[in-house]
Amino acid sequence: MTVLFAVLLPTIGAFILPLAGKVSKLLRNILALLLVSCSFILSLILIPSALSGHIESFRVAFPLGLDFVLAADPLAVFMALVSSFVGSIIVLYSFDYINHYENQNEYYAMVVLFLGSMMGLVYSQSLIYLYVFWEITAIASWRLIGFYRSPKDVLKADKSFLVTAFGALVMLIAFIAIFGMFGTFDLTVLKGHVLPGVLIGLILVGILSKSATLPFHTWLPDAGVAPSPVTALLHAAVLVKIGVFVFARLFLFTFNIGVFWHTAVPVIAAVSALVAAGAALIETDMKRIIAYSTVSQIGFIFLGLATGNPVGVAGGMLYILMHGIAKGGLFLTAGIVEQNTHNKDITKMGGLISTMPLTAVSFLFCAFSVMGIPPFGGFFSKFMVISGAVDAGQIAISITFIIGAFMTILYLFRMFNLVFLGEARGKLAAEGSKLMVFCVVLLAIMSLGSGILISYPADFVRIMVSQVGGIR
Amino acid sequence: MNYLLIFVPFIALVLVNLLPKKLRPISSFLVLLLILAAQSIFAALAPFGLIRAVGAVRMEHLFGFHLLIDNLSLLLLLSAGIVGFSALMVAWHSIKDEDDRFNFTNLLFILLIGMNGISMLRDLFSLYVFIEAIAVSTFIMILLYKAREAYEGALKYLILSVVASVMMLSSIALFIMFCGGTSFEVIKLSLVSSGALARIAIALFICGLFIKGGLVPFHGWLADAYTSAPAPVSVVLAGVVTKASGIFTLIRLLTAVIGFSPATKDLLLIIGAISIVIGALAALGQKDIKRMLAYSSISQMGYILVALGCGTRLGLIAAAFHFLNHAIFKSQLFANAAAVEEQTGSRDLGSLGGLAQKMPVTGITSAIASLSTAGIPPLSGFWSKLLIIIALWVSGNYFYAVIAVLASLLTLAYFLTLQREAFFGQVSVKVSSVTEASAGMLIPAVLLSAMTVGLGLVFPFVIKYFVR
Repeated sequence: MTVLFAVLLPTIGAFILPLAGKVSKLLRNILALLLVSCSFILSLILIPSALSGHIESFRVAFPLGLDFVLAADPLAVFMALVSSFVGSIIVLYSFDYINHYENQNEYYAMVVLFLGSMMGLVYSQSLIYLYVFWEITAIASWRLIGFYRSPKDVLKADKSFLVTAFGALVMLIAFIAIFGMFGTFDLTVLKGHVLPGVLIGLILVGILSKSATLPFHTWLPDAGVAPSPVTALLHAAVLVKIGVFVFARLFLFTFNIGVFWHTAVPVIAAVSALVAAGAALIETDMKRIIAYSTVSQIGFIFLGLATGNPVGVAGGMLYILMHGIAKGGLFLTAGIVEQNTHNKDITKMGGLISTMPLTAVSFLFCAFSVMGIPPFGGFFSKFMVISGAVDAGQIAISITFIIGAFMTILYLFRMFNLVFLGEARGKLAAEGSKLMVFCVVLLAIMSLGSGILISYPADFVRIMVSQVGGIR
Repeated sequence: MNYLLIFVPFIALVLVNLLPKKLRPISSFLVLLLILAAQSIFAALAPFGLIRAVGAVRMEHLFGFHLLIDNLSLLLLLSAGIVGFSALMVAWHSIKDEDDRFNFTNLLFILLIGMNGISMLRDLFSLYVFIEAIAVSTFIMILLYKAREAYEGALKYLILSVVASVMMLSSIALFIMFCGGTSFEVIKLSLVSSGALARIAIALFICGLFIKGGLVPFHGWLADAYTSAPAPVSVVLAGVVTKASGIFTLIRLLTAVIGFSPATKDLLLIIGAISIVIGALAALGQKDIKRMLAYSSISQMGYILVALGCGTRLGLIAAAFHFLNHAIFKSQLFANAAAVEEQTGSRDLGSLGGLAQKMPVTGITSAIASLSTAGIPPLSGFWSKLLIIIALWVSGNYFYAVIAVLASLLTLAYFLTLQREAFFGQVSVKVSSVTEASAGMLIPAVLLSAMTVGLGLVFPFVIKYFVR
C-alpha cells in the first residue's frame, strides 16, 4: 500500500491545490511541498523492502491484460527518490521565484501532478500504465512550458507536446505489438522475453524523443522559455530522465535486446553528446546552454546503460542521480541570475560574483559535478560510464565521449567566466532571495557530498544492478 | 417499458402544445429535461442490472413493428439522453426568443423519438421512417433563426439527404419486390439465398447511411451544416444525430443482418482510414472553431468505422465505446464553442486569444475534451482509441492500426492549435472585456468533462461489463 500512496497522494492532491490557493497562498505552497516530500518519504520507507528482495507491490486485476501493477523494486525506488528529492527542492525554490506571476494555482497543480505521475511511471509494472503516466507528464509539461502565455511560449509548449507525443505514439504501436505477441501488458510476466528488432526501434523513438536525444532533441532548448524551476524540473531532474529510466526498465530489467543495440545505442548517444556539446559552445542564451548540456549529458547515461556490463550500468544509474542534482542546481542558479538581471544573454553579463557570491559558488560546485571533476559526484559516474564502455570493448566510442566530456568543461567554464567573472557588461544585480539561495546552496553541497559519500548510493546501485538479468 | 421510450416523448410533445401559450416554453423545457435525464439514467444503469431492461415487446397489433432493447440500443439511448440534455441546457441560454426556444424544444422531442426508435427497431422500412423523421426536423432546426448562411448549410444537407433517401427507398423497394419483406430476418435469409440482387439492395442502403453519417467521400454537407446551425443545434447534430442515423444504423445492420465478410471489412477499413486522415487534415487548416470541430467529427467517425472493420467482438466494443465517448466530448466541444461565441461574438480563431484567463471554466473543460479527443490518457477518449488500436492489431490489420495511431498526432496538432489560438496564450485586445459564460452554459460543459475524466479513471473497472 505504501507504493500506492506514494503515487496517489501527489497525483490526486494536485487537484486540491487550486482550491487551497483560493483560501491562502501559503497554505497552497506548503501543501504542494508536503505532497511532493510525502512521495520522497514514502519512497524512503520502501528502501529496506526493495533491498531485501521482498518487493512490495500492489495489483488490481483487469480484463484484456490491463492489470494495474505497481511494484517498488530497487530501480523504481531509486528513480522515485531522485526525482521526488530534486522535485521537493524545486517546489521550495518556486515559493519565491513564482510568487509574482499569474496562474500560480495552475503552476503548483501541474508541478505536483507532474511529479505524481512521475512516481506512477517509475512504480508501474505495466506497459499501458507506463504510457498513461508518460502522457500525463506530457500534459503537465505542456501547461508548464507555456506558463508565461506569450505566443512564442505557447508555440514552443505545443512543439514539445507534439514531439514527445509523436514519440509516445510510435512507442504505443510497439506496446500494442507486444500485447499482440504475448497477450499481456504486464512487465513481470514479460520478463526475459526477446523482442524483435523493429519493436526495439519503435520504443527507442519514444525514449529518445522524451529524453531529447538526437534526432528528437530540438524541443528541449526551445522549452527553455519556461520559468527556471520548470526547466530545472523538466530538463534536469525529471522529464528527460523518463526516457533513460524506461530504457533501463524495458531493455535492461525486462526484455533481452540483441547485441546490435548494444552498439547502436552508444553510437546515437555519442553523436547526440558531441552535437549538443558543440551547440552549447556557441549558444549565448544562458538557459539554452544548460539545456544543450543536458542533451549532451543524457548521451553519457545512455552509453552507460547500453554497455550492458555491471560497471557501465551502475555508472549510468549513478549518473541519473548526480546529473539530476547538479543540473537542477545549474538551472536554479541560472534562474536567480535571470530574475535579478532580467537578462539571459551571457555576453551582456559579467562580474556577478562580486554581488552574488553564494550563487556563483553554487554554480561552480554544480558545474564541477557536471564536468566530472573529482571529488564531486559527477566524477564517479562519468568515470564508471566510460570505464564500462572500455570494458565492453568500445574504444572508439569511449574516445568520442572523452572528447564530449572535455567540451563540457569548455562550455561550462566559458559560461562561468562570462556570467560571473570579468568586468560587468550589464547591470550588476543583488543576490537572490534567501530561500532561493538556500535551495541552490543545498544542491551545491549535495553535489560535493554525493561525491565524498559515494559509497552509499554506489552500494544501492550495486544491489540494483545485480538483479539485472541481461548483464554478461 | 420499451414502447414508453417512444410514447412518453410523443405524448409529452402533444400535451405541452395544448398548454396555454404562456406556459409552453418553460413546461416543454422542464418536461424534456426530465425525460432526457430519466432516459440517461435508465440507459446508464441497465447494463449493470440495476434497472431491468425488458426484452422484446411485440406491438404488431399496434404498428406492425416490434421494439427490442439490447446493449447496443442502450448505447444510443444513453448518448441521446446525454447530448439532448446538454443541447437543451445550451439552448435555454443561447436562444433568446421564446418562440424560437419553444420550436427548438418541440423539434428536439421529435429528434428524441426518432433516435429512440432507431435504437430499438429491427426492420429496414421502419428504420427508414425514423431516419427521415430525424432528417426533416434537423433541416428545420438548422434554419431556426432563418439566417441567410444557414440556408446554404440546410440546403446542402437537404439535397444530399434526399439522394440518400432515394437510395434507401429503392433498396427497400427491391427488398419488398423480390424478398417479400423488410424485417431483418427476411433480409438476412434473402442475402444468403437470392444473392446478387439482395446484395445490390443492401449496398444501396449502406451508401445512403454513409451519406447520412457524413463519411468521406460523402462528407461535403457536414461541415456547412454544423457550422451554420445555431449553437444548440450543432451540439445535438454533431453529438448524436448524424451518428444515430448514419453510424448507429450501420452498426445495427452489420451485427444483425450483413455480418462481416472480407469484402465488407475491407470497405469499412478503407473508408474509415480515409475519413480519419482527410478529416484530420482538413481540420488542421480551419480558422472557424465549429468548422474545425465538424471536420474532427468526420475523422472520429472514421475511427468508429475502422474499429467495425476489424469484424471482431473487441472491435465492436471499441466502436461502441468510441461512439459514446464521441457523443460526450464532441457535444461538449460544441457547447464550449457556443459559450465562446455567446461571450465574444466570434468563432474566428484569429481574433480570439487567452480566453482561458477570462473564461476559466470554459478553458479548462475544453482542454479536457480536446485532449480526450486526441486520445491522451487518462481521459476516456484514450481508452476507446486504445481498444480500437488493440482490436485492429489483434485482428491483423497492422497497417490500419499504425494509421489510427499516427492520426492521433494530427488530432493533437489541430486541437493544440485550437487551444493555442483561443484559450491558452495572452489575452488578445479584442476579448479583453469578456467574462465567463452564464452558469447554464457551463453546466453541460462541466458535467460532460466530469464524465470524460470519470469514465477515463474508472474505465478499467467497468470494462468487464462491456467485454462480457
